[in-house]
Amino acid sequence: MNGPTLDFSFLDATARGSMASKHVDESLDAIDGNMHECNFKAPAVEDFEGFQREVINYVKPNHGTTTLAFIFEHGIVVAVDSRASQGPYISSQTVKKVIEINPFLLGTMAGGAADCQFWQRNLGIQCRLHELENGKRITVRAASKLLANTLYSYKGKGLSMGTMVAGWDLNGPGLYYVDSEGTRLKGQRFSVGSGSLFAYGVLDQGYKWDLTVEEACELGRRAIYHATFRDAFSGGTVSVYHVGANGWTKVTGDDVGELHFSYYPATPVDDVDAHCGGEGKKEAEARAATEASAMET
Amino acid sequence: MDVVFGFVGYDFAVLVADRAATQQIIVQKLDEDKIVELDSTKIMALSGPKGDCVAFGEYLRANVRLYRLKYGHELDVSATAHYARNELAEALRSGPYQVNCLLAGFDKLKNEPELHFMDYLATCHRVNTGGHGYGGMFCLSLFDKHWVPNMSRAQAMDLVDLCVGEVCERLVTAPTDYLVKIVDKNGCETIVYDATDRLKKRRDLMADVAARMASMN
Amino acid sequence: MARRYDSRTTTFSPEGRLFQVEYALESVNHAGTCIGLHTENGILLASEKKIMSKLLEQSSTPEKLWKIDQHIVAAIAGLNADAMILINFARVIAGRYRARYGTLIPVENLVQELSDHKQGYTQFGGLRPYGVAFLFAGCDGRNGFQLYHSEPSGNYSAWKAAAIGASHQAARSMLKTDFTEGLSIDEAKSVACKVLQKTMDCVNLTSDKVEMFYLTRNKDTGEVFTQTLSL
Repeated sequence: MNGPTLDFSFLDATARGSMASKHVDESLDAIDGNMHECNFKAPAVEDFEGFQREVINYVKPNHGTTTLAFIFEHGIVVAVDSRASQGPYISSQTVKKVIEINPFLLGTMAGGAADCQFWQRNLGIQCRLHELENGKRITVRAASKLLANTLYSYKGKGLSMGTMVAGWDLNGPGLYYVDSEGTRLKGQRFSVGSGSLFAYGVLDQGYKWDLTVEEACELGRRAIYHATFRDAFSGGTVSVYHVGANGWTKVTGDDVGELHFSYYPATPVDDVDAHCGGEGKKEAEARAATEASAMET
Repeated sequence: MDVVFGFVGYDFAVLVADRAATQQIIVQKLDEDKIVELDSTKIMALSGPKGDCVAFGEYLRANVRLYRLKYGHELDVSATAHYARNELAEALRSGPYQVNCLLAGFDKLKNEPELHFMDYLATCHRVNTGGHGYGGMFCLSLFDKHWVPNMSRAQAMDLVDLCVGEVCERLVTAPTDYLVKIVDKNGCETIVYDATDRLKKRRDLMADVAARMASMN
Repeated sequence: MARRYDSRTTTFSPEGRLFQVEYALESVNHAGTCIGLHTENGILLASEKKIMSKLLEQSSTPEKLWKIDQHIVAAIAGLNADAMILINFARVIAGRYRARYGTLIPVENLVQELSDHKQGYTQFGGLRPYGVAFLFAGCDGRNGFQLYHSEPSGNYSAWKAAAIGASHQAARSMLKTDFTEGLSIDEAKSVACKVLQKTMDCVNLTSDKVEMFYLTRNKDTGEVFTQTLSL
């Protein structure tokens, strides 16, 4: 019986005392003494409520995001970035912003990460119960309405969500935008988050109905990449999903840094032609040549 | 910024609403329907936060239909307006529904069209013409000058032309696509209204004026 | 046998009858007669006033005819105390409808809601049904003048001429022969008096034994109003 033993010493009172900061010690003293006295440290600010309102923005991560989804001939493409920020601080570069509700339904995450994860998991439960009760899969229309109803009932209570529900049902592909204000919109093309303006720019110009799956995935990837390039709060990797008649598949996940260099390979600065692709130098040389020949004649 | 307005004609009432669903500076959608059909002779245009509009519109429609099932006859237009106002008034102290609406309908008993103006503070007036938001305000003077009792459908569409033209020319971020719904004793007719033709006429006019001014010199 | 099925709650007997409801109907059939009939521009309600004792103060308020709203009056037959509860209930329904929809309640809506309420007492939790039947006379924009008969069971039906209370069967058969559509108010009054005289079994009908309400429309304004009539 001389195997490795686990060290539980940190559970001992003395151990905790030795590990804890002076700060905690004071609060423990308060607990031992009069319970009615303030036993935790409140921030030393004049306007406590204002401070709380301000600080909530820092602890609620993921306000900066770019997500998009669109319907085309061969289904739906969903593309997202993966950065989470808390105020000016990037708290994660590997957030999963596509939430896999079930094999035929995807949700996207923008706004509060916890709110999105919790309520879309909750939506997954409701969708599964619908399947058990009715013996068939829920439609995207119904699923998005369930989510919208839930969010509407919590309106004004502080939830922060901007999501797209994408999926395939009897009616084919379905795409809905649902947010914590209670909005629910059916559509063909949406982008949500702080980088959505940039993503829309690329997406709207490149969108056609009869894209191939590869082209559509590339369009989604490209739009998110450009959004991460301009939006400081979006970045990390670009995840691309495709939703078809047999459910969703994850297509790719590419680091935006690597994407940048594959889209715009670095070339020597002094090679002006190669670097810019502009033809100004060639034109100026040609002009000089014609002027020279004109002088000669 | 929703553009919503409407007026009554001889044996019909007209509601017009833009089709844009917007969020801050982004247009999310250009084929939204903001005029809910409560039943075959009553339509309601709603403006305000999308969630509230949908929730209130669906609630009203469900209750109007429930009434018909329960009592075997339809609710009058004025009774519907009164009921809607009542719901807004109750919601005002416990919500509220931040919706401004116009209810148009044809009263089969009195054999006349009706238009009711309501805002989220639960004021309710029966009116001949009405509008909500900045878009609606641009239309008010046009109504005062051009609306007359007992208008024909052609006259009504001309007035819609005038209003949409004015909104497109003067309102910042004016929407370009509109839905016109006309309700009469036979039901509701929907017309998809594209303002680009109207705008082109306007631009041609201004180009013409500029050309004539240039020729004066 | 009956004892087993009508003691505490309203329960079906093996023959499929609800004894409590039938007993309630019986209490109606012991009450003074009320009749109602359409006239050319209104509805006449007439009822027998039972004089219990000479010592009783003569009240100026009606005994059996009650106004529910501007456009609806009711005649009652049965237990008076039960009727007062339901009259109040009906007035609340009418008032609530006004507050909600801003217009007068359509007559059938009121009758339907009241009947639904009565029906509840033939089914739920150990309460007895109301021992009252009603004649409702009313007018609305959709169906014009209407006369409804409502029973303790929760059934209701519309009539051209109807009678409830003691010897209602005799009254109904008399109405069947004497009533025609489009009676003037005076003709209707004489038909009503004839029927009441017969059912009350008295030689000369005096005005202290009869109450009459006339629901009609103002010819100029179209406004519906009620008036009490004397013989």
